[in-house]
Amino acid sequence: MRNGARNWYQSWHPYAFLALGVVGLFVFRLGPIGAAFFMSFTEWNIMGDIEWVGLANYKEMFASGDFWIVLRNTGVFTLIYVPGALFAGFLLSLVINVKVKAVSFFRALFFSPLVTSAVAIGMAWSWILSPKFGILNYFINAALGIEGPAWLGNPDTALMAVALVFIWKEAGFYMIIFLAGLQNIPNSLYEVASVDGASWWHKLRKITLPLLTPTTFFALIIAVFRLWQHFQLVYAMTKGGPGISSTTLPYSIYQNAFVFYNMGYASALAYVFVLIVGAITALNFYYKSRWVTYQ
Amino acid sequence: MSKTQKVIYYTLVTGIGFIWAFPFLWMMNASFSTQEVIFSLPPKLGDLFTSSNPFINYIKVLTEYNFFRYMLNTAFVTVSASVGQLLTCSLAGFAFARMKFRGKNVLFGLFLMTMSVPIQVVIIPEFLLMMHLGWLDTWLPLIVPSIFVGSLGTFLMRTFFENIPQEIEDSAVVDGAGPFRLYWNVFLPQAKTPLITLFILAFITNWNQLLRPILYINSRSLMTLPMALTQFQSQYEAEWHLLLTGSVITVVPLIILYIFLQRYVIRGMARVGIKG
Repeated sequence: MRNGARNWYQSWHPYAFLALGVVGLFVFRLGPIGAAFFMSFTEWNIMGDIEWVGLANYKEMFASGDFWIVLRNTGVFTLIYVPGALFAGFLLSLVINVKVKAVSFFRALFFSPLVTSAVAIGMAWSWILSPKFGILNYFINAALGIEGPAWLGNPDTALMAVALVFIWKEAGFYMIIFLAGLQNIPNSLYEVASVDGASWWHKLRKITLPLLTPTTFFALIIAVFRLWQHFQLVYAMTKGGPGISSTTLPYSIYQNAFVFYNMGYASALAYVFVLIVGAITALNFYYKSRWVTYQ
Repeated sequence: MSKTQKVIYYTLVTGIGFIWAFPFLWMMNASFSTQEVIFSLPPKLGDLFTSSNPFINYIKVLTEYNFFRYMLNTAFVTVSASVGQLLTCSLAGFAFARMKFRGKNVLFGLFLMTMSVPIQVVIIPEFLLMMHLGWLDTWLPLIVPSIFVGSLGTFLMRTFFENIPQEIEDSAVVDGAGPFRLYWNVFLPQAKTPLITLFILAFITNWNQLLRPILYINSRSLMTLPMALTQFQSQYEAEWHLLLTGSVITVVPLIILYIFLQRYVIRGMARVGIKG
């Protein structure tokens, strides 16, 4: 932090520089965050007036079977995506943390899905996963002699398939984070271990993994926030179906608000969603000291 | 590495690389295929080298299905939103980095706090606002919020401006520069790296944006590429070769940009993620 700021600026200068940003902050962030809270106690279907209904939306939500299914789907998606993406990112970072030619090509390749449209990626994967003409099932059939599942058309596999594609899309992000962590581990530690005759596996377990716990903690926090960006993939690949088998909270909010026009109910869902994100993040910080070690 | 290790390493990394490259390659393959070819079993390679007109799908999708129009729409929306964000973020970042004023820490705290609020939480009131402004079915809802909201960018610019030595500011002021000239003529020209980073990150986000277009746009002539893809998908279910051609068209401009600005993209995303 800098304390040298001299005061040749007049008192109105900061406000002139900040005008655009502050308008954005209040009109598009703080205002809507507050308004959504208010709206969660109302009923509104876009056409008529907004009507105050107290806790009715929340009561309806907890009494609805669909809500609990959506919540379970969200939980399943989280439990596949968060560990999966962290693990895949970690493996990629190990593969990339080698000084050879072509490594920058592969780094760019692993990162490339993050740059590209989730919709386009979703289309490409839908085609690969398509039951009859998809190339994945063709190879499953050729190799194992069995029919592959309908993946996106099957309530048992749709959610998992979307979550795996999301891992594929996002792994490169965690790769970069873990790579930074790996490069922060002093080389001397490995050299000493080598002199003592430690194996690669031993070094991974005794040096790399413990020293990466702060990085892993950080990646975990980020993952809980990035998790919600899977909306586009669900929209492109399954539209929450078949039935509601791949409907997760972000998709359900969209659907209730802009397909069913239950704006109040959708706002209540959005607030439950914020509470969940907050709770998970708080838990992460609470349990941090149990497993994160600093050098 | 020994020679054997190198062979093992390259086999491994190429194998993993294949999983990452395959969806792109398979999508391209479909874009050079006829409908007959993509629905053949066993799967066939497309007709890039055998067909008399391998780009026929591209021509069809770009003209008959209007994707050329959608590409221009997307480019216009994306560039306006991203350039606007550069202005908002660099101005705010400058104030936070170089000026003293009351409420600075509280305000900066609010910027940071709202940074990670998911769009689903703000989108319903935002929709209400856009409806009252009469902005439905225009590009304004796709552009205006993106111009004004840039917590990440403000953060990035502030960090950069903080690290510019005080002497540079001092000597410019001695030469008679006011705050706006200081910002425009002295600070901005030095900030090429963060500005490019911010621009490319905003560009990627806006180009790929889906939720706002599907909420706000009704007219076909105003659609953006990702939205057009989803519309195409529900309308022409069996035309996979054309849908995937549209997907390639959506992806290619960003891939080209990414190839040239890779350094900025990867570092920028990692830094934004790490600090935020």
